[in-house]
Amino acid sequence: MKNTPQAWERLAAAARGVPDEREAHAPFGFSTRVAALAMAERPIGSLIERFALRAMILACGLAIAAVAANYSSIRSLFVQEQTQAPDDPVAEMADLAS
Amino acid sequence: MSDDQSFDLVGCLARVRGRDQVAACQLVEHLYPMVIRIVRAHLPRRVPEEDLAQDIFLKMFTRLDQYQGAVPFSHWVSRIALTTCIDQLRAQKRRPEFRWADLSENETRVLDSATSDDSAVSPDDALAASELVHRLLDQLKPDDQMVIRMLDLEQKSIAEISSLTGWNQSVVKVRAFRARRKLQKLFAELREREGS
Repeated sequence: MKNTPQAWERLAAAARGVPDEREAHAPFGFSTRVAALAMAERPIGSLIERFALRAMILACGLAIAAVAANYSSIRSLFVQEQTQAPDDPVAEMADLAS
Repeated sequence: MSDDQSFDLVGCLARVRGRDQVAACQLVEHLYPMVIRIVRAHLPRRVPEEDLAQDIFLKMFTRLDQYQGAVPFSHWVSRIALTTCIDQLRAQKRRPEFRWADLSENETRVLDSATSDDSAVSPDDALAASELVHRLLDQLKPDDQMVIRMLDLEQKSIAEISSLTGWNQSVVKVRAFRARRKLQKLFAELREREGS
């Protein structure tokens, strides 16, 4: 048996001589299918941007709606705080000092 | 790639970036011959070439925004094609075992002749030799396979392989050396089986 490089080189040389007679042009419909698939796909970055913007608009809307729906409760809390202020021990101490 | 010099690649790319489907279709038609040549040269067994070509084109369209024009577009696409092929080869974890019993009569004769005498393989046996070469290459690691295919079958230089794969030239040389050593081992095993 001859050494490996020679045997491999002979086999590779013979393999190189085999002509490739297969069709090199795209099969019918291939390019249309690939182009349609590619154009249907949106880049991930733009998808994130699109959804992030929508999510932000939705979150802002919900926040405004929540404030509007609970406006009376929020307002009464502020009013309560103002009326309770004289009961505040610190405020009372301040009044005594003056 | 087609030899059509009139193809307006720059204009076509601009239209594809604007999501023009007709332009995308033309780009695929233009690049298909180059891509399919790479796929056929490195195609893992049992993977339909059309599926792999489709994966390559879809990757190309997805990454189109990353193409800055630093290298020719065909070069950029061929690198995507090569890396897709190598990923497929890596995904095939089990490599088919090389068994003497699986060889056809022609392949056995060609292997016998290649390893026992100095004469070149006859042109009539070229097809069997080609099949044999691919069987032997299947035994190598994917990266080594790719290097040996490009070196010995496509007769590319180390610099060309380095440029196409993005691997350092020393890495290419090491892979070629490792692949040849593995082939040497395979031939030695065959010699043992032949002797027994």
